Amino acid sequence: MNCTKLELRSYPPFIHDWKTSAKAAWICSATLVPVALWSSVLYGRIAVVTWLTAVAAALVAEAAASALTRRWTLGDGSAVLTGLLIAAAMPPGAPWYVPVASAAFAILIVKAAFGGLGANWMNPALAGVAFAYANWPAHMREYVLPRFVAGVDGVTAATPLTFAKGLAGGLDIKVMDALRGASYPLSAIDGAVTGFLNDSLFSRLSARLPDGYIDLIIGFKPGALGESALLAVALGSIVLVSLRLIKLEIPLAMLAVFGLLARLFGTGLPGEGFLAGDAMFAMSGGSLLLVAFYMAADPVSSPVGRGACLLYGASIGALSFVFRRWGAFTEGVAYAVLVMNVTVPFIEKAATGLRLKRGGVA
Amino acid sequence: MRARGFKRGGVPVDHRAPFKTGPIENAFLPMNAIVQLREHRCAVEPIPVVSVGQEVREGQLLARSAGKASSNVHSPIPGIVRRIETTRTSGGFDSKAILVSLEGSFSMLGKRPERYLWKSLNKADISHIVQDKGIVRVSSGEPLYEILSERSDAPGFVMVVSALEMDPYRRTEEELLALRAEDVVDGCAIAARMALPARIMFAVDERIEPATLEPLRELAARSELDIAIQPFRRRFPQDLPGQIAEAMDIADPGTLFIIEPSTLVALHEAVVSNKPHIEQYVYVGGGSIKRPAILKARIGAPIGDLIEECGGFSGHPETIVIGGPFRGRAAADLDAPVTRTTRAVLALSPEETKSAPERPCVRCGDCVDACPEGLSPYRLLKLLRSGRPDDALAAGLGRCSSCGSCSYACRSRIPLVRYFDEARQNEVRR
Ligand code: SF4
Ligand code: SF4
Repeated sequence: MNCTKLELRSYPPFIHDWKTSAKAAWICSATLVPVALWSSVLYGRIAVVTWLTAVAAALVAEAAASALTRRWTLGDGSAVLTGLLIAAAMPPGAPWYVPVASAAFAILIVKAAFGGLGANWMNPALAGVAFAYANWPAHMREYVLPRFVAGVDGVTAATPLTFAKGLAGGLDIKVMDALRGASYPLSAIDGAVTGFLNDSLFSRLSARLPDGYIDLIIGFKPGALGESALLAVALGSIVLVSLRLIKLEIPLAMLAVFGLLARLFGTGLPGEGFLAGDAMFAMSGGSLLLVAFYMAADPVSSPVGRGACLLYGASIGALSFVFRRWGAFTEGVAYAVLVMNVTVPFIEKAATGLRLKRGGVA
Repeated sequence: MRARGFKRGGVPVDHRAPFKTGPIENAFLPMNAIVQLREHRCAVEPIPVVSVGQEVREGQLLARSAGKASSNVHSPIPGIVRRIETTRTSGGFDSKAILVSLEGSFSMLGKRPERYLWKSLNKADISHIVQDKGIVRVSSGEPLYEILSERSDAPGFVMVVSALEMDPYRRTEEELLALRAEDVVDGCAIAARMALPARIMFAVDERIEPATLEPLRELAARSELDIAIQPFRRRFPQDLPGQIAEAMDIADPGTLFIIEPSTLVALHEAVVSNKPHIEQYVYVGGGSIKRPAILKARIGAPIGDLIEECGGFSGHPETIVIGGPFRGRAAADLDAPVTRTTRAVLALSPEETKSAPERPCVRCGDCVDACPEGLSPYRLLKLLRSGRPDDALAAGLGRCSSCGSCSYACRSRIPLVRYFDEARQNEVRR
């Protein structure tokens, strides 16, 4: 055993690219740290506890799996990443057993039982989150207001998305105005920044930014931990893309298709009509960006090949839209990815077939 | 002129290890020279014509060609034959080797070389000299007279003088173009007289120094040959025939005859100065070598001697490589001898190898992006691992050139090309 290992090492090429799977996982994890920090600022102690519990549970589960299979895999960073992604999908203040159970399910069942990293055809973190939604739907949908909005910790509220969906709106009223009309809480910062932008920038373009979008972007709204830090997630995504750690085609196709459909048909919000969907609201709400860059583009559970990736991303985008438009809940995006995970082999085949037909090489 | 390049995959070689150019030094003569009689797996072993205890002169014939794929071997140093034995080479195959220990006086080093005017020689004369002096193509180890005469039987090919060095280290060929351009062009003319190419192309790096390019251009124009100089993009594996052909929009790489300046210099010295192939230009470098340099070393010199002449190691090398970092071989130890195909000796630091434990394939697709042949290495691997070599062949395994780009890129450090090589060896055996 040892001998073959040595021989493997001494086979060319003797130099390698800087990327390793472990480094990729650790860098992904590192880009989530700002997300964790921002959500901790927003929600205080309850957020910190959820992040730490999820990561700790993931590590313990990975250690247990390592002990069972006698393959030490904690160093590859994938467990920490899974833990962080699960925490990102948790509502702040979820009871401790929710992230723990999700992480254990993700790592012990979805990953280890299928043969460890590389053999899991489903994204473990997403499967863990879906598991949590299935088992504790109430806990998973109980959101609280950030303390800057509520003034105190732990005031429960519905997410803007759920809230807006519940509103009966006419065609003449924009979603944000509808929200405010229903006295949805907005922060003072939103008022200030929106006012400033409208005065200085948008007035010259003779446009107006409605109140509320700033809150959506900086996370002054109830939502999952990862959702609250849209800017941090965007920054992390830029890092992943510029280091070429993920398959860019997937999130691009996914967001483009989702945004287009949302614009065309609306996502069932008040104030939307045909060709007048509020794509910006649809895309900033929900953890769309996080799922797109960190989970849909996860290499293991996505197809290989440019064409296949585009097809896969576009399908996720379309499916997310369907779930969001006609489904009941905000986590439709997660289910969309899981459904598409299952179809990866077919997508790869279809893409290869197309390429062959065009006279390319397999 | 616009630089050309192959169309897909490969590994960019943007960064090159710093190197101080200057005249190429002769390495010290080795106390003991281990002359390996076979340079590659497929070579036929020449027959030794000396016996243990016999005194030999520098350049005296040690072993005579046994016919096809076999070449004459000469003594690199004057001395006594100590041992003739079969050893395992760094290439992983067995070969007879003759050990000569240094003694006596030199016939070549001290004296001025004789200069024949080769222009009066005809094709047969030249062919005879090249065969007699045991000149091999440095990049492949094949006897030069053999491949040249094969080519002359099938005219209409392009002779590519390739100074392409597509790795971060070696730049011997480019240095030879700078320092011995006249001999290279002359060698080219000799080779052309033997093989009669339709045209000649000098393949050079896109970032070649103008100070090298300009004199070369003048020499090429002054020669009576049809020489074009073509720059190529610096991207591994641009130096492989398949990729040169692709860059030139030539359909069949078989119509290219690739030869490198160092071989032409050896050819030139054989014909003009009557010198057998007992010297080799070796680039000694890598992050763990104190003073990287190109040395003109005697065949049979232990690579450890060369490393010492370059100041020895700085830090702890992780691997010692004979040949290039992409396709070379790991040296068994520092006593491994220089052969006529040793173009570089690299001592690589862990920062350069970036080795890491092998992990399962994460389907990142980096190998697909890196493959210059448009294959899906991860898929080939999966097929081979699940015991379906025939499906792997159907998926293009036969087109794999063993360039190693996929293994270089693999973030799980899977030695993909090793599996491919082994699968094809098994295929041959079946
Ligand atoms: S070794 Fe073969 S499969 Fe790998 S990149 Fe080179 S040609 Fe492609
Ligand atoms: S580069 Fe390595 S890990 Fe990535 S798909 Fe290819 S074989 Fe798998």
